[in-house]
Amino acid sequence: MNPLQDKECHETRRTFLGKTAGGIGQIALGSLLSASMPHAVHAAADNLGSGKLPHFAPKAKRIVCLFQAGGMSHVDLFDNKPSLAKFNGHEIPPSVKGDQRLTGMTSGQSAYPVVAPLWQGRLCGQQGTWISDQLPYTQSIADQICLVKTVYTEAINHDPAITFMNTGNQQPGYASMGAWLSYGLGSENKNLPTFIAMVSQGSGKNPGQPIFSRLWGSGFLPSSHQGVGLRAGSNPVLYLNDPPGINRSQRRELLDDLAKLNHLRAKELGDTETLTRINAYEMAFRMQSSVPELTDISQESPATLADYGPEVHKAGSYAANCLLARRLLERNVRFVQLYHRGWDQHIAISRQLPNQCRDIDQPTAALVRDLKQRGLLEDTLVVFATEFGRTVFSQGTLGDPRMGRDHHGRCFTVWLAGAGIKSGMEYGKTDDFCYNIAENPVHLRDLHATILHCLGIDHARFTYPFRGLDAKLTGVEEANVVRGILA
Amino acid sequence: MRVLTCFLIVLICQHGFAAQNAQEYNRDVRPILSENCFVCHGFDEAAREADLRLDVAESALADRGGYAAIVPGDLEASELWRRINSEDEFEKMPPPDSHRELSAEQKETLRQWILHGAPYAKHWSFIRPKKSPIPQVANGEWPRNEIDHFVAAKLDQEGLEPSPIADRHMLIRRLTLDLTGLPPSAEEVEEFANDDDPKAYEGLVERLLASPHFGERMALEWLDAARYADTNGYSIDGGRHLWLWRDWVINAFNENMPYDQFIVEQIAGDLLPHPTDAQLIATGFQRNNMVTHEGGTIPEENLANYNADRVKTLGEAVLGLTLGCAQCHDHKYDPITQRDYYRMFAYFNTLSDVGLDGGGGVNPRPFIEAKTVLATGELPSLQERIAAIHEELRHLKPDVLAKWEENQQALLRQRGQDFALHSIKLLKVSTPNSGAGFDIEEDRFVTISQPPNFGAYDVSMRLPDGGLPITGLRVVFHPDPAAPEEGWGYGTLPQQKPGLDSDAIGKGTFVLTALAASVGSVPGDQVDLHRLFEIQRVTANSWREDYLPKQVLDARRINGWSPEIESMGPVHITLTLAEPIDVGQTPYLTSHVNFGHPGKLVGGRFEFYAMTGIDEDSDLPGEVLAVLKTPFGKRSPQQSELLQRYCADHAEATEPLRIELENLEERVRVLTEKFPTMVMDESVEPRETRILIRGNYASPGEKVTPGTPAALLPPPANANANRLGLAEWLTMPTHPLTARVAVNRIWQMLFGSGIVSTAADFGSQGTWPTHPDLLDWLAVDFVESGWDTKALVRKIVTSATYRQTSATSQTSTVLELDPDNQFLARGPRFRLPAEFIRDATLKTSGLLVPRIGGPSVNPYTPGDLWREVSHYGSTPSTAQTFFQDHGEKLYRRSLYTYWKRTVPPPNMVAFDAPPRETCSVQRATTTTPLQALVLLNDVQFVEASRNFAERILAHSDHDKERIHWAFKECISRMPATKEFDIVTNTLERERKRYDADEAAAQSYVSNGESPRNEEIPPAELAAWSQVAALLMNLSETVTCN
Repeated sequence: MNPLQDKECHETRRTFLGKTAGGIGQIALGSLLSASMPHAVHAAADNLGSGKLPHFAPKAKRIVCLFQAGGMSHVDLFDNKPSLAKFNGHEIPPSVKGDQRLTGMTSGQSAYPVVAPLWQGRLCGQQGTWISDQLPYTQSIADQICLVKTVYTEAINHDPAITFMNTGNQQPGYASMGAWLSYGLGSENKNLPTFIAMVSQGSGKNPGQPIFSRLWGSGFLPSSHQGVGLRAGSNPVLYLNDPPGINRSQRRELLDDLAKLNHLRAKELGDTETLTRINAYEMAFRMQSSVPELTDISQESPATLADYGPEVHKAGSYAANCLLARRLLERNVRFVQLYHRGWDQHIAISRQLPNQCRDIDQPTAALVRDLKQRGLLEDTLVVFATEFGRTVFSQGTLGDPRMGRDHHGRCFTVWLAGAGIKSGMEYGKTDDFCYNIAENPVHLRDLHATILHCLGIDHARFTYPFRGLDAKLTGVEEANVVRGILA
Repeated sequence: MRVLTCFLIVLICQHGFAAQNAQEYNRDVRPILSENCFVCHGFDEAAREADLRLDVAESALADRGGYAAIVPGDLEASELWRRINSEDEFEKMPPPDSHRELSAEQKETLRQWILHGAPYAKHWSFIRPKKSPIPQVANGEWPRNEIDHFVAAKLDQEGLEPSPIADRHMLIRRLTLDLTGLPPSAEEVEEFANDDDPKAYEGLVERLLASPHFGERMALEWLDAARYADTNGYSIDGGRHLWLWRDWVINAFNENMPYDQFIVEQIAGDLLPHPTDAQLIATGFQRNNMVTHEGGTIPEENLANYNADRVKTLGEAVLGLTLGCAQCHDHKYDPITQRDYYRMFAYFNTLSDVGLDGGGGVNPRPFIEAKTVLATGELPSLQERIAAIHEELRHLKPDVLAKWEENQQALLRQRGQDFALHSIKLLKVSTPNSGAGFDIEEDRFVTISQPPNFGAYDVSMRLPDGGLPITGLRVVFHPDPAAPEEGWGYGTLPQQKPGLDSDAIGKGTFVLTALAASVGSVPGDQVDLHRLFEIQRVTANSWREDYLPKQVLDARRINGWSPEIESMGPVHITLTLAEPIDVGQTPYLTSHVNFGHPGKLVGGRFEFYAMTGIDEDSDLPGEVLAVLKTPFGKRSPQQSELLQRYCADHAEATEPLRIELENLEERVRVLTEKFPTMVMDESVEPRETRILIRGNYASPGEKVTPGTPAALLPPPANANANRLGLAEWLTMPTHPLTARVAVNRIWQMLFGSGIVSTAADFGSQGTWPTHPDLLDWLAVDFVESGWDTKALVRKIVTSATYRQTSATSQTSTVLELDPDNQFLARGPRFRLPAEFIRDATLKTSGLLVPRIGGPSVNPYTPGDLWREVSHYGSTPSTAQTFFQDHGEKLYRRSLYTYWKRTVPPPNMVAFDAPPRETCSVQRATTTTPLQALVLLNDVQFVEASRNFAERILAHSDHDKERIHWAFKECISRMPATKEFDIVTNTLERERKRYDADEAAAQSYVSNGESPRNEEIPPAELAAWSQVAALLMNLSETVTCN
């Protein structure tokens, strides 16, 4: 082997493994660049916690997170109890309400009357899980999913709560779940990013609470691990399209010239990072065809399209994003993150919530069924989550069409399905008011630990050195895998 | 043995560092203990196990009832040694559940350490640095200054040789990029390469240090550290105004403000005697933290977060300490107690800031209004140009006017052709923040009975299918009995034409700030942001001069359409679409109707019509229409004057001039008027500070007063317990951290990596310096020089170390021996920061507008990325929808790009620019495909390739010379023969291609808003643009070699 090639190997690997200004030894196995490297390289990297990844045989190879941004009402949709009808209109007992803090939106209210779920529901599936009639399609997949009714968080407002759920910390600056997995597990597709994020707008409340790139950001991890936004419209990935006046073969020839020039100079200078850059240009070129191929749904069968519902034809909708999620998962994209905005029903919940539910119900169920039919659910984890639930008591006056529900982090419902998860079960119990946890609390740290577990990762050993700490997705406090929901 | 131990300790205490080869506690032992033991046996009392500390000798060596953790010199008697070698799961240390394990090598280090007497030392960075003697080195020829002696000594030790000096081309490129963030021009390269003055390099250094771009370049790192941005962050992320502070930073570097003063003014400028406006502006440093105005958040919690961020930033940016780790408990690794933390917190807890503040585009308090610190030397030239533009607009070229009139006459001839309106059936109306007070009547009217202060309504409808293509959309506002004086809306505006109708002022009206629409095959409750109609023309049957119909296309709340108050009956606005709607394909239309002005300027009753044919209205005012109807020869001089003025103010042909005028007039205001800027102050009733138990704002503990960490040096005797006292402490010449941290960051900026590679962490978990004596020498010298930043930069860049080539020959082993270039046996090499990649491209293309400072600008961005995720329509805050600037604002340096924290500029983020939410003192340098997509496809870079091509063509008539010059201009060197051949081939190929495809050529050269040189045939320009793009995409172009 000639010395330069030798150096190339060394340097290229090293560049793959990342180079920061500070040389902390960050692993920039960019979600975007790793595919051409043997998988073993990820695991062999020195800084990947204290062991190889995955730590044990994973049940799930990939994950899709269907995030309902704004705070979905667990009371109305998943956690009904007979007692609520009985207490409807009565003040929530002080012993239940306790002295925990409320947001500034309801802390000044003079009354806190209980509002029973605004719609009927029914007991579904073999276990008789109660699910609201606002979610008829979700009712039909009750046997596929595992409802966790006792997730809780300390945060009571959107920014800290949604940041907590997505990055494991209430404050900005931390890596998102998808970035962690890109860093830890790398990619199995050499033509698409490892971590894709998609945003849709709710029709119940527009605009919903803002969301932000931090939620799919890389935080302290190298920025190559950040989620790549996949957007509706003509430029699904920013800057994807060749500019007007350029065609594909022309671009190909220009990149060939560029590679030749870069190779010559790299040799001259002993600059092997340039070799990495040549690879990056090649992957960019491949993405220019793989992304349009991905977003072109014209080959989907009419039956499949019908399953996802009429909005599947509207690019950028939650339904369209669900279908894209399946197409991404099929292509072995590691982490697909959807955000659907508009769940923040402080006002007019009776008017807004049905619309929000209609947006997501049919496509969500279709995605789970579609994954199952294609055999993908066996090694794909589906997480249906939100940043907090909503209060059992009303925000505003009972009976007023403007009445809504405030944020509630003490307990709320999240569901999981697919690889590694017991299907058709409920986990955890809240009290008669859906206000406090009665048994089996699941902190969102525990949820993170469980998600990592499904992917073959021990959360306690999955660390990244940052500011003197071995930072973890699950943070510094204790976190436990929720064994009770594991298959 | 004992003598040696004592000697070592003395040496360590005196010099901070011991001889390099012997084992050394701070370098070799502490990191092992810190990483593996300190969490339970360290500084944090609450987490301490078995009452044992291994971070201090007193506890580690203490008798624990017949045994000790460590018995110096005696392995067998040392419990630590037994435990780390134990196989018993209950005895083994570190315990198995910690997931930590000592390697054989680490155990050997500990073995040696105990055997040699287990000498402890104070952590190196807490000891005041001293200048150690300059090492004598074997290669006496090589060193140019002190730096090189230290570096050479290390190279000797490692058995490495320095690399040769870089050639002149590499040198001038590196130096110019490093000191200004811009590449040198071909001419500068040429001149320097041929300059035989032995002091040519030093001359170049001086020239660059004096460049106004030096301050911009230096500011970039500090803006990252200070988390500077143009928005408040957190969820709603509304706009703020703090650019005066950013410009203060640039100015401070350009004026070479001593670093101690730089810190004092930013920490406590307001507490200096008789502070100047500039000193008040400086205090914006600790107002750069994010603030939230999310409804429902709790002010006390927010304020605690703000102060926590200030302490964290102060720690990482100035002290190199992860102070933030002591927010919830004592620091696990460094001697910072939680109490120390809250005493630091207390310094900033005296501000009069408010926990929920900063919405509506108004700065969070406290803020002042002040003038910029920037020099105003450009005023005369600005005014001259402004006058010239006015002149040009007053005397339009006859052909401009003629062409405009021809166009208008053509439009007027078509006006109303086949015009028809078709009522649209409404399906649904929604608004985010209300459940009542709006409705649909008779399937066609939207009625608003409870007007909000500002309100956004999405109206979903089914289009009528009359077989004809729909060419436009009309919204009709009816007089509404519910509105004041049966007006069209609920608010009032001042009367515009005084004296006409004094009653009109009470009449209710509205301001329509945005009107947009999209269609789809299924009904959409919300307008589809990805498919908004392109609008060709906006007309109305009535408008006020201050609220023009076309302003509904600018979605911001700052403007909009409002009818003339004197108008009677219904008023309407009509959008003509660029592409007609095919109702068969897309029968559902959704329209976004936004009333964004405060004061209930909301419409009461309105309906929608689909238009077929051509709009019956004109966007011209009546008096202009009257002139146009008058035959040319019969117009009065007043009429001609009116027409000429209207054309100057509205024609497309004069738009570039108007944009330039607007930008220049704004620039004059920036230099001469006062603007709001956030500052620190002392509250009349300062909040008291308590230790927050577990960091929780709702669990206040013991009360504390402001103070500095006890483990560091005490503050000056006369220092006050306020921010000024803090600043004085930070800048004490004897402070062990401040100068080291500053010097290290500048070293990192120039070499790509610091002497301490963890620039934010000089504590126990930070890395050991690669050249400890050099770091200390530079730190002491920095203080002795009067904290002279330019002198420090000069010292580094004139060293032989810096001047080495970064190239390595194929036979060299240096890449294997030192892949990270820790020992500096070669020159630095790193990818340029995001901002400098764009700046370099702008400069090379000739587009760069090198103005310093001013409000941030919004250059090209692919679509409205803000609105996709923002609270647009639901908040009075600004920065919720993106509005691109034009003219020179597209070509300013990248540190002036508007920084919205939740959606930072995507072409910057792709190249590792941090989001500026929190302090950042190190950027990663990744290499990703997204970067390639930016450089190849972002219109900013595509346009630059075309402009660079024009410059290349202008340079010479010969292709060979053109290519030579292009290489020099772009990468500061001549092409090698092979490179030349490749590029020549590119050129010939692209010429052929574009000669055969004129349309493609035309299309390529039309990218971007800058005017193109029409004299160059499009095919030739497009072909050269490809050559330009090729060069601008070279790895070398984005690298500092």
